[in-house]
Amino acid sequence: MKKSLLHIVIALLVALPVSLFGQSKREIKSLMESFENYEVTTVKVAVDGTKFVKVWGYGKKVDDAIVQAKKNAVHASLFRGLPGMESAMATPPIFKDPNAFDNNKDYFIDFFLTGGEYIKYINVTTDGVPSGQDRRQVRGGYKVALYVQVMFDNLRDKMEADGLVNKLSTGF
Amino acid sequence: MRRIFAVVLAAVIGCSTLFGQAKKPVIMVVPSDAWCVRNGYVQEFESYGQKEMVPDYNAALKNNAEIRLLISYMGDFMAKEEFPIQSLESVLKNIQNESRDVSMITSNESGAMIMESPVDELRRVAKPDIILDIDYQVKKKGPKKQVSFNLTAYDAYTSKIISGNTGVGSSANAPVEVLLEEAVLSFKDNFIRGLQNHFDDMFANGREVVVTLRRFDTADVTFEEEFDYQGESVELADLIDLWFSENTVQGRYSFNERTADVLKFEQVRIPLYGKNIAGKEVAIDTRGFVKPLVKMLKDEPYYIPVTVYQKGLGEVWLIIGEE
Repeated sequence: MKKSLLHIVIALLVALPVSLFGQSKREIKSLMESFENYEVTTVKVAVDGTKFVKVWGYGKKVDDAIVQAKKNAVHASLFRGLPGMESAMATPPIFKDPNAFDNNKDYFIDFFLTGGEYIKYINVTTDGVPSGQDRRQVRGGYKVALYVQVMFDNLRDKMEADGLVNKLSTGF
Repeated sequence: MRRIFAVVLAAVIGCSTLFGQAKKPVIMVVPSDAWCVRNGYVQEFESYGQKEMVPDYNAALKNNAEIRLLISYMGDFMAKEEFPIQSLESVLKNIQNESRDVSMITSNESGAMIMESPVDELRRVAKPDIILDIDYQVKKKGPKKQVSFNLTAYDAYTSKIISGNTGVGSSANAPVEVLLEEAVLSFKDNFIRGLQNHFDDMFANGREVVVTLRRFDTADVTFEEEFDYQGESVELADLIDLWFSENTVQGRYSFNERTADVLKFEQVRIPLYGKNIAGKEVAIDTRGFVKPLVKMLKDEPYYIPVTVYQKGLGEVWLIIGEE
């Protein structure tokens, strides 16, 4: 009786920290790849047709985090918008409809495949692997920041050409 | 069979393009009154014993390179959106040239001059549908300069603000031209989104216009004159109100002013497309929208002569009493 009670207490002690205070490995993985979980800030007003942002990405390895950060920069331009700062106004997202991703899921799953179409719309301005404050070890992997130039106008042209967004002059 | 299919397809595409083209609003960038006053580009005159100031756009565009540059930057990005803006400078030149031509042209036989009514003269003045009112100030902070800007796009006829953008550029030791370009790039996308929202609303709920009915003092009837409507005596103003309720998009309009001499209908939502005299569906403007109303007033039992004076795509005056 005493032995079985001890087993239960040990099992509870092992399970509690994971279920109450932590996340399962699957949860962490999906959070790292999620487009809901990233931070982006505008760095300065960039040259015509582009946006200069600092964007964070998560990944099990640093390289994975870099790839995710690039995807996040394009995702923010398309669906979330880029926040303003003291000397730059906020940029609204290319898609007005908050359900645009879900409405065109197949298209965007292809678009955001690693090394896929999205890569054409970013120029990375960070040299080499992020270090110091821009590279943090977090539970289950790394969180890194990249300074990225998004080819915003080209991205919008692509969405217009693929018939997902209307041009300003549509209907006239 | 294939040829028939191709012909049918071409016809369908042709029709859809014909019906799908609404009239493009004319957009113009204009320096704000505040900017003109601050920089001394104003003309002063006395009206009823009071000093009044009006912006002198000609002087501003001739003497201020910065405002020309700003207008040029804006023209550039609007052209990329396939929405070229009307140049204020060229419109002002055209007005001057036309005035000179009209005053110089005489007939060979009798030396008669071209007749031009005051209304024709007025029509020569630039009438944009959307005005981009731009204001900026360059502030100095030691060796550095900073540009604060304010761009407001508003509907010229309803005076409603379509898109407002204000902000302060970065503080830098750079030429003013560079800082102005930075300001334009900063608000560009936000500004375009404001315009896009306005156009989306227009396509969904119709174009918003203003219709004003006035009467010449020689007119036999006032808007309080009563007419027979289905066996009841109804004032002309009520009959016109009824017409608006039946012909606007979802019956949306507001009847703002009502006297014996003036009726003013604002926030009138008109459909973008109507039928022309051949019964074909075409894009219409305010003049096209009020045509059936004019016909109604001219016909039995009213027989009221009407003059139509269009003030642009978005505002029209119907003056009853004379044609």
